[in-house]
Amino acid sequence: MTLDPRTKMVIVICLSTLALIYNTPERLLQLLIVTVLLLLLFRIDIRSVWVYLKRFLQLMLVVFIIQCFFTRGGEVLLSLGSVELISSQGFLTGASLVLRIIVVISAALILTTFSSRDFILGLVQWKVPYELAFMVTIAMRFLPLFRDEFVNVVTAVQLRGVELKQVSWGKKIELFRCLLFPVVFGALLKAQQLAVAMESRGFRAYPRRTYLRRLDFILVDYAVMLIFVTVTIILIVY
Amino acid sequence: MHFLELSQVNFHYPKQEKLALDNINLEIEQKSITAVIGPNGSGKTTLSKVMIGVFPATGGKILLQGDPVSELSLAEIGRSIGYVFQNPDLQLFCGTVAEEIGFGLINRGCEPDRVKEKVDFYLDYFQLAEYRNAFPLHLSQGEKQRVAIASVLAAEPEFLILDEPTIGLDTYRKKILEGYLQKIACSGRGMVLISHDMSFVNRLADRVIQMENGHIVDDGDWKGNNGYDA
Ligand SMILES: Nc1ncnc2c1ncn2[C@@H]1O[C@H](COP(=O)(O)OP(=O)(O)OP(=O)(O)O)[C@@H](O)[C@H]1O
Ligand SMILES: [Mg+2]
Repeated sequence: MTLDPRTKMVIVICLSTLALIYNTPERLLQLLIVTVLLLLLFRIDIRSVWVYLKRFLQLMLVVFIIQCFFTRGGEVLLSLGSVELISSQGFLTGASLVLRIIVVISAALILTTFSSRDFILGLVQWKVPYELAFMVTIAMRFLPLFRDEFVNVVTAVQLRGVELKQVSWGKKIELFRCLLFPVVFGALLKAQQLAVAMESRGFRAYPRRTYLRRLDFILVDYAVMLIFVTVTIILIVY
Repeated sequence: MHFLELSQVNFHYPKQEKLALDNINLEIEQKSITAVIGPNGSGKTTLSKVMIGVFPATGGKILLQGDPVSELSLAEIGRSIGYVFQNPDLQLFCGTVAEEIGFGLINRGCEPDRVKEKVDFYLDYFQLAEYRNAFPLHLSQGEKQRVAIASVLAAEPEFLILDEPTIGLDTYRKKILEGYLQKIACSGRGMVLISHDMSFVNRLADRVIQMENGHIVDDGDWKGNNGYDA
């Protein structure tokens, strides 16, 4: 099914909103099932979801453990003598938080099914100023570059004899501050140069610009969008 | 035993079909200057980064003094091979030029007095003394390049890999660099020199490797421009 990028965006927003509002594991699990079905519908390889989720595994584990230990209430699931360690309430809260993260990340994968160019086009046709839309896509495109640059600097530091695995945490933080330096500085420099380069190629020289392609909102898009927004609102209200 | 030994090394960038390095067999001795030349995109930088384990080879074996590179940490490799990146911006990370040059020495556990002495020497040699407290990324392109080279040389590694070291240097500074590299070679330490600067290569190199499209197409101790214009 090929939907307009804007429709897909609305779907993602609906799913994420629900994920943030729901706070019981059952509800979130239902939402996850819906999300997975949608991913299948959009022909996204479910294995790629795992690739993304893997990066957040540590975070999810930490969140889960903290919730387990620090939320009280309900029955006691695990205790050490008279000290109550894990309560049923804590376990449920932890599980909900983890499910919430999973739903938001999986839903965001729907955004990978269209190009950033279509994204700008969609926003512009919705009367978002072109400059703003363009800025958003540039940010999206440059983010992975910054990651690469950071990796590069980390490599350079290691090659100059720093055994990253062996330095203490205090020193590591100091080092990372040092490492962010060239990356942030480089980003500012790049932004300045990009601005000049864009202006010299006529960016914003005329108030109006034309587009090669047009996105057409067809009936299906209206229908899907309407259904998603209404269902979301109904679910939130009840 | 060769210093560096590559056998049947293949490499492709993640998510790409095309091999950036295709079946590379290469032995490099410690006491020689080996130049790597070839057109843009032929894989020179990739080869050098695979050599030192920054990118893990997708096939084949790389030995550094007999040990597989894949089992050494970058810090261990960095202790025997100094690497100057093609882009100086990505290897300068300290607050001042002097700190930058001293960084490797301090990490090798050098005495503070000795560090100061060496930093002074390299600042002088590469004519950077007046920028001693300057922020490295605020320097001109050629100055940044010199800082990057000086900070790798200062640690005095047994072997060097320089990716386009002459880029952005004026004729006079190029001469100074050449003089220093010659001195290093005389003291029995070798290097791999990646460059488009044929006259620089011809004056320094004992062996010239030519790359094209991820392959080594020529390898010899011949000197001269074999139809390839820099
Ligand atoms: N990070 C990367 N991701 C994907 N492909 C890359 C990456 N870096 C280089 N390549 C590709 O690998 C090939 C070899 O690049 P490499 O940088 O090794 O060339 P080079 O010989 O150093 O060229 P130059 O003379 O311009 O420095 C090129 O076709 C390039 O497009
Ligand atoms: Mg290169």
